[in-house]
Amino acid sequence: MLAFRSEAHVDRWCETRRSSRGASFGLDQAWQLGRVWYADKLSPDWKRPTPAEAEAAFASIGLTGEFWRLI
Amino acid sequence: MTTETVDRDVRLFVYERFLAEARPPTAAEIGAGLALDPAEVDASLARLEEGHVLVFAPGTKNIWMANPLSAFPTPFRVETPRGGYWGTCIWDAFGVVAMLGGSGDVLTSCACCGEEMALRVDAGALEPAEGIAHFAVPARRWWDNIGYT
Repeated sequence: MLAFRSEAHVDRWCETRRSSRGASFGLDQAWQLGRVWYADKLSPDWKRPTPAEAEAAFASIGLTGEFWRLI
Repeated sequence: MTTETVDRDVRLFVYERFLAEARPPTAAEIGAGLALDPAEVDASLARLEEGHVLVFAPGTKNIWMANPLSAFPTPFRVETPRGGYWGTCIWDAFGVVAMLGGSGDVLTSCACCGEEMALRVDAGALEPAEGIAHFAVPARRWWDNIGYT
């Protein structure tokens, strides 16, 4: 997952790389994704989320739809 | 010890050593630190890699990623009160900050034009910043090539 100045820069990057447009969102949502995914990573009890748990984590910060499906 | 216990101890050792030295430990260091023989360490690392907890550098058994940490420099530098590290991507760069208490700086640049982007998280809140995060690859295909998402 990369960072860009704007949606126009994402478009230009995709065009240059002949890469398909994926999912884009604001940096605050990217921070929230980092927080929900990694805040407990150093816990002795940490377990890798199951696909259902991962989808629920994505949905908790508004990342829903086919792009975010794991199951 | 069960394999589950060994894997937990190895995982925690990897992260603690990675954070202390800003590099992942070698298998020999893990063995010495946890009093495990080389075969036990190799087997545990293989299970953790198979379970997508760790990622080896291509063609090796050296730790490349203990997400969100990257063993090699990336465009995502993170500075925290604990130390400076490299995140694997912008998600992981924020993840390093989150993992280490929720305050820190992410220094990156626009993947298109290279303009610097300095992002600060303070006490769990991202300071207002212009910018976009982009995933090129849908979630279910991330592990086809975790180095490119």
